[in-house]
Amino acid sequence: MSGDSTLARLAAERATGALHGCVGALYLADGAVVHAESPAVPDVGWRLTAGGRLSPESWDEAVEEGGPDYRAGSFLVEHGRLSRGELELCHLSALFDAAYFVLSPLDTTQRVPDRFLKEAKHWFGPVRPVSVPLLQREVRRRRCLLERAWPRPEVDAAPVVPVAGAGGAGRGGPLPPTCGRQAVLAAADGVRTPLQIARALGRSAFATLLDVRRLAAAGLVRTPEADLPGTAVRPARLSPPAPTAAAPEISLLYRIRDALEAL
Amino acid sequence: MANTELALKDAMSSIDGAIGVALVDYSSGMALGTLGGSQTLDLNVAAAGNTDVVRAKLRAMEMLNIQDSIEDILITLGTQYHLIRLLTGRGGNGLFLYLVLDGKRANLAMARHQLRRIEAELEV
Repeated sequence: MSGDSTLARLAAERATGALHGCVGALYLADGAVVHAESPAVPDVGWRLTAGGRLSPESWDEAVEEGGPDYRAGSFLVEHGRLSRGELELCHLSALFDAAYFVLSPLDTTQRVPDRFLKEAKHWFGPVRPVSVPLLQREVRRRRCLLERAWPRPEVDAAPVVPVAGAGGAGRGGPLPPTCGRQAVLAAADGVRTPLQIARALGRSAFATLLDVRRLAAAGLVRTPEADLPGTAVRPARLSPPAPTAAAPEISLLYRIRDALEAL
Repeated sequence: MANTELALKDAMSSIDGAIGVALVDYSSGMALGTLGGSQTLDLNVAAAGNTDVVRAKLRAMEMLNIQDSIEDILITLGTQYHLIRLLTGRGGNGLFLYLVLDGKRANLAMARHQLRRIEAELEV
């Protein structure tokens, strides 16, 4: 794949900057990936605030105060909002999550990013760099994981429809928050796609996708008919991409402006 | 206020008989950090494999309708102990610490105690 070779070349050159496109961006520093951004996944801020770990105010404060110096992440630690360990773990899992959807876009007509903006830095700041080969290996491993769970990619973009009477959805009662599958099933209202459910729950988009595939394999969630690809894919294509295709471009322009002002 | 690297180093140095330790994201089976291990013990493979163990146990509890959480899981081999400690993840992701101990040198009670301490320092 061309994206893989571009990334490998940038790693070999120890490049610093942002590899970006419609499906998101990977930020590199010295040839290692320090941040990943995808409109498909809940970002670090969303994850931290959706679960109630941080108040939206303290997140906004970190972005406003720490963002201009490219150190919003460290700001959170210095002001006692998060421990270093928590920051690393949350950021790292958000990084791998976004990187998966950047390097393996759900909409296969979308291209892996191929434009590189030199010296671009992300306002979150570096937390723990990930080497390019490690990232690529993980993306491949995740692709296999989905394939092994249920080899029907059509469930990825379609609304998640619980199968009536299959036992899972109707059980009710308080749901233990650790059980991903139950939380996903409870959030499946027949309208939301796996990625929209991930956003609603503030959890990893990849993990939600994997849960949905497993639920489909177990017959608890409907698998769209393969011979009707139009109905399966269209709802998801219609709703998110319109704003998301533009979003990274705007944020990129903001960053360029900020960088120019900082000169 | 430890970072992940320090927490793993702490586990390797303060727990008697520790052979390897990994911090694993169990929603994806990915090791977010590893330390130790050997040629015969690939911690990344162990991380992915043990994720299935954790998932299976969570599902078993779900089926039994047990409204409780797993603190740790112990697997006793002929020559090793494998200890899995679930972290009370608050950043929106479930994690566990996976510790491999040499059966001859390890003190299980101490190892569990130390792991609990390392978890507390990592998260709070």
